[in-house]
Amino acid sequence: MNGRNGAVVKTSRMESTAAYLMIAPLFVLLILFTFFPVFYSFYISLFHYDPFDHIVYFVGLSNYHIVITNGLFLYSLLNVGYYTLIVVTAQTFLAMLLAILFNTKLPVSRPARAIVYLPAISSPVALSIIFIWVFSPQGLINSLLAFLHMPHGINFLYSVKYAFYAIMALNIFSTAPYFMLIYLAALQSIPLPVLEAASIDGVRSFWHKFRYIYFPMLRFSTILVVILGIIGSMQLFDQVYVMTQGGPGNATLVPLMYVYDYAFLSTGTLGLAAAASFILFAIILVITVLQRNFFRELTWS
Amino acid sequence: MNVLDFLKGKKEEETVPTVFRISGWRAYAIQALMIVLAFVYLIPFYWMILKSFRNTIFAGFPVDLNPFSRTSLSYFISNFNTVWNFSFSAFPLWYFNSVFIAVCVVAGSVVVGAMAGYAFARLRFRGREALFIVVLATLMIPFPVITIAEYVFMVDIHWVNTYQSLILPQMASAVNVFLFRQFFLTIPSEVEEAAKIDGLRPMSIFLRISAPLAKPAFAASAILTFIGSWNNFIWPLFDVQTINMYTLPLALNFFKGANGTQIYWNQMMMATLISLIPTFVIYIIFERYFVTGLSAVSGIKG
Repeated sequence: MNGRNGAVVKTSRMESTAAYLMIAPLFVLLILFTFFPVFYSFYISLFHYDPFDHIVYFVGLSNYHIVITNGLFLYSLLNVGYYTLIVVTAQTFLAMLLAILFNTKLPVSRPARAIVYLPAISSPVALSIIFIWVFSPQGLINSLLAFLHMPHGINFLYSVKYAFYAIMALNIFSTAPYFMLIYLAALQSIPLPVLEAASIDGVRSFWHKFRYIYFPMLRFSTILVVILGIIGSMQLFDQVYVMTQGGPGNATLVPLMYVYDYAFLSTGTLGLAAAASFILFAIILVITVLQRNFFRELTWS
Repeated sequence: MNVLDFLKGKKEEETVPTVFRISGWRAYAIQALMIVLAFVYLIPFYWMILKSFRNTIFAGFPVDLNPFSRTSLSYFISNFNTVWNFSFSAFPLWYFNSVFIAVCVVAGSVVVGAMAGYAFARLRFRGREALFIVVLATLMIPFPVITIAEYVFMVDIHWVNTYQSLILPQMASAVNVFLFRQFFLTIPSEVEEAAKIDGLRPMSIFLRISAPLAKPAFAASAILTFIGSWNNFIWPLFDVQTINMYTLPLALNFFKGANGTQIYWNQMMMATLISLIPTFVIYIIFERYFVTGLSAVSGIKG
């Protein structure tokens, strides 16, 4: 294309130089602020670390030993596991239902969809604050209970029994619309010929269409929504920090709250916090990889 | 309809998305259901607005559901003044911090993402595929779990509690790189080839020809990055040490605890409302770009 051989070599060298220059800023940022911190968090976890007093000494794996044996971190992992199970299940179903409902071209569809999507763009802190009212003794839920002549006046966020469920409810409510968009995109890209062929084959009722066409075609989106949901849920922090701070007792203690407590509320335990967050990182990574294989096998069999 | 149609600015009608066709009484029933849902999703926000028009500190369900009357307007103004002048007029400063950080993050992230996306889409260089996989692999590293190391790193280099420490870690975004790469792959390359034969260097081709064509991609990534930075809580919480460096989410949380366990809901909700307004304005203007960006993210992993 470029005539003589020498010209080609010159162009391609110029091109690759330009390319390296263009990706350089990205890689500088990624190396400094993403890859390095992963290794650094493992490094810190091997030390007794107090950056302000410059007291740093090597302790080997003893931080991991402490984190695993003192029970609280395992408790927070169990908590977040339970949370993930409930929230991911509920929000995936809700997201699918919302997408099916909004995948219509009726006058109300578009404005209603835009409104339902609002919590997905709002800041988690702002939403948490609004929902402190929703769950307060005189708030929305209790007003509804009173209206229905049921026992009311419950202080949900200060109740060991209900606090975690309140946070779950908030996150199901606000995350489902986000995943709704993934399902909507999938539903809308089902090719028209598939639908026409199906209706010729006698698949006419909505239920049958859903059972034999939409549901199988949403399988890949469901895998995606479940994986993203699990990754997000395991990192639950903002809502817990604003609404309950891990309390009452340790009822809403989650791993990142544990990390925060050990990093900032006690001194000299940064290494411990780093060990905890590195364990969490490893768990999320393993789940992501395992899930991919699990679903791949499931879809092949 | 796929990501690229959105990016290219196609209208929904042109691509004929597969939507459910419903008519008769079913259409009315479904619309009624959608209205109920929209109503449920509006309640928290409606209550926030209503409460910012009230003077009561009582947390109860308001009996009077109409926010707009003459007295309530004066409450609204006085609530605004209380919030805005809170803690020796710190609120404007917090607002500035949020805006400044978000604008810097957006500017940096969009420029870095567009350049890298273009290189990955158009230029030939050794290790292109491997490096792109490295970029995508960063999606497997959730930011919150490396926050602690990020924080210690900032302490080490004496950057903790500075603007650059709040801005730079948020700037490298694999999502933006992917979004730009996908966009540049879809625009025809004939003009670029012609420019190359005319002797234009790759950087000039990018700046003069390709980048101006990528306006929809710039818009989508700018909006998503802005919202992400505006709503970010965990990183400023770790990094910020003094009240004057607070961003709005930190300020809201601080405001909540300012009177001990007593929450003045009218002021609290006014503060929340003020902090949500920029997000809502952007959302109302650019609603369709939210779909674009999200589809791009899902395209990576799907």
